[in-house]
This record gives sequence, structure tokens and C-alpha cells, in this order.
Amino acid sequence: MTEYVKYVDVTKCDGCRACMVACKNWNDLPAEQTEFLGSVQSHKKTTADTWNVLQYIEHDNAKGNLEYLFRHSSCFHCTDAACEKVCPEHAISYTKYGTVVVDQDKCVGCGYCVNNCPFEIIALKEYKDKNGKEYRKAHKCTMCTDRLDEGLQPACVTTCHTGAMEFGNKTDMLKKAEQRVNEIKSRFPNANIYNPQGVGGTHTVYVLAERPSVYGLPENPKVPTSAVLWKDYAQPIGKMMLGATTMAVVGAYISNKIFNKEGKGHDEDGGGSHE
Amino acid sequence: MQHTDCALIMGANPAENHPISFRWLTKARENGGKIVSVDPRFTRTSSQADVYAPLRSGTDIAFLGGMINYTLQNNLFHKEYVAAYTNASFIVKGGYDFNDGLFSGYNAEKRAYDKTKWALETTPDGKPVKDPTLQNPRCVFQLMKKHYSRYDIDSVIAVTGTPKEDYLNVCKTFCGTGEVGKSGTIMYAMGTTQHTVGTQNVRSYVILQLLLGNIGIPGGGINAMRGESNVQGSTDFALLYDNLPGYLAAPKTLVPEHATLEGYLKIETPKTGYWSNKPKFVVSLLKAWYGKSATKDNEFGYQFLPKASGNYSHINLFKAMYDGKMDGAFLFGTNPVVGGPNAGKEKEALSKLKWLVAIDLWETETASFWQKEAGNNPSDIQTEVFLLPASASYEKEGSISNSSRWMQYRWKAINSRGEARPDLEVIHELALRLKNLYANSANPADKPFLALDWNFGSGDEVDIDLVAKEINGYDISKGKLMKTFGDLKDDGTTSSGNWIYSGFYPGEGMNLSKRRDSKDTGGENYLNWSFAWPANRRIIYNRASADPSGKPWSEKKAVIHWDALQNKWVGNDVPDFKAVTAPTAPGGTGAFMMNKDGVALLFAPTLNDGPFPEHYEPFESPVPNPFSSQQLNPAAVVIEGDFNKKGDKSQFPIVATNYRVSEHWQSGSMTRNQEWLSELVGHMFVEISEELAAEKGIKNKDQIIVSSARGEVKAYAMVTKRFKPFTIQGKKIHQIGMPWHFGYKGFVTGDTANRLTPHIGDANSFIPEYKAFLCNVRRAD
Repeated sequence: MTEYVKYVDVTKCDGCRACMVACKNWNDLPAEQTEFLGSVQSHKKTTADTWNVLQYIEHDNAKGNLEYLFRHSSCFHCTDAACEKVCPEHAISYTKYGTVVVDQDKCVGCGYCVNNCPFEIIALKEYKDKNGKEYRKAHKCTMCTDRLDEGLQPACVTTCHTGAMEFGNKTDMLKKAEQRVNEIKSRFPNANIYNPQGVGGTHTVYVLAERPSVYGLPENPKVPTSAVLWKDYAQPIGKMMLGATTMAVVGAYISNKIFNKEGKGHDEDGGGSHE
Repeated sequence: MQHTDCALIMGANPAENHPISFRWLTKARENGGKIVSVDPRFTRTSSQADVYAPLRSGTDIAFLGGMINYTLQNNLFHKEYVAAYTNASFIVKGGYDFNDGLFSGYNAEKRAYDKTKWALETTPDGKPVKDPTLQNPRCVFQLMKKHYSRYDIDSVIAVTGTPKEDYLNVCKTFCGTGEVGKSGTIMYAMGTTQHTVGTQNVRSYVILQLLLGNIGIPGGGINAMRGESNVQGSTDFALLYDNLPGYLAAPKTLVPEHATLEGYLKIETPKTGYWSNKPKFVVSLLKAWYGKSATKDNEFGYQFLPKASGNYSHINLFKAMYDGKMDGAFLFGTNPVVGGPNAGKEKEALSKLKWLVAIDLWETETASFWQKEAGNNPSDIQTEVFLLPASASYEKEGSISNSSRWMQYRWKAINSRGEARPDLEVIHELALRLKNLYANSANPADKPFLALDWNFGSGDEVDIDLVAKEINGYDISKGKLMKTFGDLKDDGTTSSGNWIYSGFYPGEGMNLSKRRDSKDTGGENYLNWSFAWPANRRIIYNRASADPSGKPWSEKKAVIHWDALQNKWVGNDVPDFKAVTAPTAPGGTGAFMMNKDGVALLFAPTLNDGPFPEHYEPFESPVPNPFSSQQLNPAAVVIEGDFNKKGDKSQFPIVATNYRVSEHWQSGSMTRNQEWLSELVGHMFVEISEELAAEKGIKNKDQIIVSSARGEVKAYAMVTKRFKPFTIQGKKIHQIGMPWHFGYKGFVTGDTANRLTPHIGDANSFIPEYKAFLCNVRRAD
């Protein structure tokens, strides 16, 4: 099966946010009450109901000139996806296209995926059942896998009018990215392809105008070692000993203790989904 | 646009407000085209530009005057084009003069010019006197050169506040398109027009583009980025208060000759140029409207037309309403309580009406102006308000015309909900009911309405196809649809509801606006997609793409050329010219055939405020005008008193402007009622520079108050690097900006920016000066 990639050339983006609306429209996501953030940006980051967010960044470049940078921020669909690795319920899986999807029927809302996503993308949504009991489910961009099944492209790509986003097979898209970086080097000397190898490469590949950190992206994201340990060692053993459901409960405790990545607290990472 | 070598974007922000146009600009860039953005604020358009230059709001003519001067001083203009296709060589009579900001013929009391003082020299048989060498000191070219020699770079930037390096960069990049084989386009929007000098701002573009030979060629032109998808169509169909459809003048009692059709036609019809056919268009329009009631004996019903006794532009209309001179109003899809200038006063004006009919998709701020949330006590308001629910564009069929003059038919996608109905049905039923109501009236005042031919189907259902056919027009004697406006007659045997569109429906079942053939017919003109008025031409004035002998100036920018073998003009577009007129024949080089002498006007003796654009400061300005002692456009009409309070720089030292965001549309009545768009821009904000924020002790996200002489608004501060203070005549001047989309209805609400804007308009179009006014800011707490 061909691996597909969503190619995002941020230097062609004019920040119109049609991708945000197209996503909500196709995926039938509700609007959220947004607070004023002091810039044009509507949401700080992606949430369980907002799967892509347009970033607006005012950046003084090396020459001291003002750059107004935009980035369509959504799930990277990592080749080695930390969220998939840590999910105790096998609710997160890879599809034949290379996309990473969540099965909400299996998700128990434990939040390990939220804790471990190197890009802070996946988020939890809180629900109440008919007895008033609260429960949570993880949500994120599906790369419109349901559209791919029908031979369509992701809704955000289809709606993009400047050609800043394209969807195609991985080889072609990576070639395009290389060409584009060469084209724009004179204008953006720091231009680079963002397809981090620490997560095995991604299925959303960016051409960035500036260094990743300017966009708030990790320069060298990795699947956390703890997640590898968890998935490949602790979890199989634990499940063998305790049975799956109990393991999830115990796991939640352990997870909160050991998976706080790079000094960030659990609440900060996982709680922002529905405020 | 995709063929342009350089796009100068000024008074517009297409990346945010006309995003689809940016698709074509992106293509132009891929082919090596450059984008130049000139704006007080570094916008998303600026971020995509190769060159950015800031200017203070309201100084466009200084900026462009400097570019005109730069082009002339550095010999960058297309000399052969200018000599052949413009009035550069025409000699101006001795009556014309210019001194200290005033053209000759000024009457200070009336704030008006006697335009006869600007006449051109003619031979005894009425032909213009020319000097093809352009050396005569009284020729247009030399007068223009002299006029703009005052706009040297240092004088310009002292007014605009543009850094010198940036200004020179703009001049170099854009004025380089004067080279043969290159084209440059100008894209503008309301940032250009909404000024007391709005029309002259556009005139400056005209002069610059004519000098550079950029009109009539691919990738050239002056593109008005419309504020709505059908602004072109509505203007074509006489939305403007002093027009009849097809850019015919509305008759006025103030013009004595307009008392009769004969007099009207005599004064309105030039002897030469295509407008010499005007009587055919006027009589055919009268036949379309009054049918059998329009006969040769009754001046084809000319007396049925109302004759305007004053100026009915938006500001004057609301002034009349405010003064209690109007009984009622129909407001179709318009929301002046948010969108009107000095909106607080416009809201007050509505309360002076006896009745108001609002036809809209939602209950807007205007439809609900009487409510408590509008700050009114409902029991104090005597106006009876009717709200008729309207259908949205997807719920009805009809055509819209884009700014390339393409008339594109659209079909209904979904049915309307509830009692909502298309505007056309509302008007149709109203017409039929009123016709019934007045059927037996003997009152002469009712006669015009009864004479109106209303044959769009019986009953409540309107047949929109019959409306389309009436616009196209008929050869009445044969009962056939008109094939072209070229066949219209002035004897009452033809009809056409809008002559410029005549030919779009040339036969039964042939509504050409419904065409959807996306095959490129050459030059990416797509001649079989929809219909472009006039006569399906895609690039207007395309005769100018070829030299006087009929050979394209360059192969790269070729459109049409004279084919001597076939004895006609051929190419990839419909010639904007009589296709069989040889270049050597009389009028064979008249590339601008609508004008009486066949040339474009560098010198335009027709406008109210002068034949050449001249810089004046806005109504409210923080600095004196260094170009002359005339501070404000001398021909701008000033309304004094309570209806239009004026702020002074001592109290209001900050320049302000307003604009739109991608997510909201106009007064927000549609978009603030859409959750996904409301979520994206949910708060009224004001963009201010880091420097001004520091001076005022304002932090990002603070609530602030913006005040002007007319009102106050509360909003969030968006402190940004994208606004920088200007240095004007050595003094630091701050500028701020804010969106004008908010009101008190909808999912997201906020204070209305237009509470701050003044009630003053352009000297020609009377469009309000929304884009440059004075204010002050302070923290809300």
C-alpha cells in the first residue's frame, strides 16, 4: 500500500483559516467559546473539538525585519506514534494510508496519549452519560481517513486555495518539499523540511520558513523512552498478570507518575481540551 | 492577475479579504511576478509581498503622485502608448491654472469649481488640438509633469511617513513595468475609495497605469476588489443613486435640460465616441420599463421617471432622515446601525421614520434598533418596524457579476426555511399588490407606477427567466431577443433593460451566463465560460495591447492584432473595438472608444475636484498639508453641526482606520450568526503598536476605550509589531486600526467601530471617509 503524506508549505499560506472551517464542517465539530488571545489566533492549540489551528507568529528575522508567519497546525500522523504506543486499550492504530486514528469505542479516556504526544495535538473531550456520569474520549485529526476511503482528499487540503497544502504519495511530496526549500532559501535562509526522524518521520510534512522552534515545535521530537518501555515491556507483562481493565486503572496511576514528559505537569498537558 | 509582472496592492488586503484573488497572485509569483503591498499596517498581504511600504491613512495621492513623478523624471513611461492612446498631446485652453492647491474656477462659497475653465483647445470643427511631440508647455503631458514635479521623494515621504528606502523600492519595482513586454496591475479596495479624495485616489492609479502602458494588456489593469460578490452587478444595474442601468445619468430637476427627453439626450450625448449611441440605450430602457405606455408621442415615457431634486447619496439620505424629512424606508440586506458612518447618528435617524421595512436573513442591529439592547427605550420609539425574512444566496437562482464583468448564473441549492423568500419575489408581490391597490387611481402622481410594464408572470411566482430576457431586450417588431446592443434603436422598436448586458441572451434557451465550458480558448480568457459584458470581452480596452499599426506591443502580452489578409482584428479575445476598422481607417487607433476622442484621460476635466489628483488631508488630520494651504479637498461637501462633529488633533491626536477580517463579512449580520466563523473571531479588538501601548500603559489583551468626536467604543487591545508609528514632518504620529464587523446581535457581539467615523464623503462619489479619522485611546479601567 502506498504511504500518503499531507504536504504543508507554510510559505504559500495566507492565513485564511478556510482549513479550520472545512475541518469542522466535514467532521461535524462544534464551535468552542474562544477567549481573546491578544493576536489573530483563535485557539492556543488544537483541542478535541478543533483539530487544526492556524498559528499566527510575528517574528523578527535575523536581518531584523518583521516576518508574519502562519502555520496550519494539526496531527503529524507519526510513523512511530507515541500515542499509539502508550494506548493500553489498542484504541489508537495505523491505517493502510499511514494515518493514525483513534477508535472512540475502545478509548477509555485514560489520557496517556495526551501526555505523550510530542506535539501536544491529541486532546480529551468530556462527556456525560444519561446517568450524569462523566467520561472522556480522545480526539484528534484523522487526516479525513473516512474521505480517503472514498478516494477523496482531506477536507483541509481540498479547500486550500493558495496550494499551500497538497496530498499525495510520500515520495512525491518529499521531493516537492526539497524543491520548494531550494526555491525559497534566498528569501528564507532558515527554510527547512520538518519531517522529524525521531518519530520515524511523519505523514504531515512541512516546509517551514523558519526554524521549528519559531513555530513552537520541538527541534528533535522523539517518542519518549518511557513510552517505549511501557509499550514494549511493562504493558504486555502487566496485562498478562492483571487483565486489561485493571491494568488500565493501575496504568493511569503509573503513567501520571512516570510519563510527565520533560518536566511538564499532567494537568497542563491534558486538561486544555474543553475549556 | 496570473500574467502580471508586478501587482501593486494598495488600499486593499486581498490575502485577508479577497483570498481567492491570492490564488492567482501565487501563480504570478511562481512565474517571477512581484507583489508590492502598501498599507498603514503590515497585513497578511504584506507578509506575502516582495516589497512592503507603510503609509499614513489618507496620503495615497502624495504616495502615487510621487510615483507618477518618478516615472516621468526617470523616463520609465511607455512613450508611444502615451502619445497615441491618451490625451497627453492635447492642448489645454488658457483658462486652466493651478495655484496653491486650487485649480482655476473655484467658488469658495459653493465649495465647487466651474469646470468650463478646464476646457481643451479644439479646432473649429470640434477636434482636439494636439502636439504629438508632447513639448508644448500647454499640452496635458507638460502640465502633468509640472503638477507632479512638486511630488519629489522627500516631500512625499514627509507626508506619508514612508521610510525612504521602502518608498524607492516600491517606485523601482512597480514603475519598471513601463518596459514593453511587461505588465503591472493595481489592486485596490475600500482603503482607496473611502476617503474625501477617494475618486482622485483611483484617478492617480489611472494616470500611473496609462503612463506605464498597463491598460488593455494581460496582467495589467486597475482592479477594484469588490466588497461583495455582486457589487459589479449592482453598480451595473444602477445601485448608485445618480445612475440608471448601464451607466446612464439619472435625470435631475437641477439640470434644466433634463426637463424633456430631447433636452436630456442632447446634453448627455457626446458627438463622438461610442456614447454617441446613447439615445438608443435610453429609449430602449424606457421601452423595457414602460412597454406599450412608452410611445414616440409621450417621449417614450421619459416623464414617468422621477427627477432628482437633490443629492441622494447615503450620507445625505440619512441626514434627510435625521432631519425628519422621510416617512419610511425599505432596507434590503443592509445594516447601517453597524455599517453606516457615524453609526450612532444613523441609529437615531431611523427613529425619525414612521415606518421601516427590513428585509434580511436575521434580525440585524438595524431591524432591532428600537430595542433595549440597542440602548433605546422601546416605548419612546414611534417607528413601526416590519421584518421580512429573506432567502440566502444558496436558496435562490439568478446571476452575479464579478469584477471582471463576468455575469455568472447560479442555481438554487436548497429551499428556504420558514417564510423566507428571495428579494425578487418580495418586490414582485409588492409591485402586483400596489398595482391592484392603485388600479383605479386618477391621481397623476400614481401614473408612473401604473404605466410600469410588469410582465414577469402572473400570481406570486415570478418568472426569473422573463426578467433576464427583459434585461437582454427584444426586437419588439419581430418579437425576437436582441443579439447585440449594436442593433438597439432609438425609435421605440427595440427594448433593453440594461444595454451593456444586451446580447447575453441572444435567442430562446441561450442564456450565456449559464455557460460552464472550462476549456481555455487562448490567453486563459475562457470565452465560453459565462458571459462578460460588453459583448463577452474579457480584457477591456484590448485595442491598447497592440501598437497603432495593429501589431502587438510584445508577443508575450499579445491579445488582439490586425490581420490584413482577413481585414479584421483577431486574437484570443473579443476585440474591444469595431473588428473591421483598420488601424489606418478614421478612428483606427482610438483604443478607448467610449471616450469622445477615443483616448484615455490623463487630464480629466469632468470631475468635481480637479483634472489632476492633488493631495489634501483627510477631514480629520493630525498635521497641516505641506503641499498647499488647502487642508481639506476644496470640493468636498462638509455637513456641519450635530450630525457630523469634528475632532481636533489636540484632543484626538491618533490616526485611525477600519477594515475587515477574513472570517466576518460587512456588518457581520451573516457571519456573527455562523458559529464556526464566530469562534474564529469572537471579540472586538483594536490593533495598536508596541510604542503607543507603552506610551499609554496598555498591555496586550487589556480592555481599552477608543474615542472620537462622535463616540466611544470599548475593545480588546491587540498590541502588535505590525503597526509602527510614523514620522510625519519630523513628528511622531501614531495610527491604530480596528475591524468594523461588530454589533449587539449574533453569537458574538462587540462595540461598533463606526460609532467613531465621520459623516463626510468624497467630492464625486460621496462615499464616506471611513478610512482616516482621528481618535484617542486609553485603558478601560
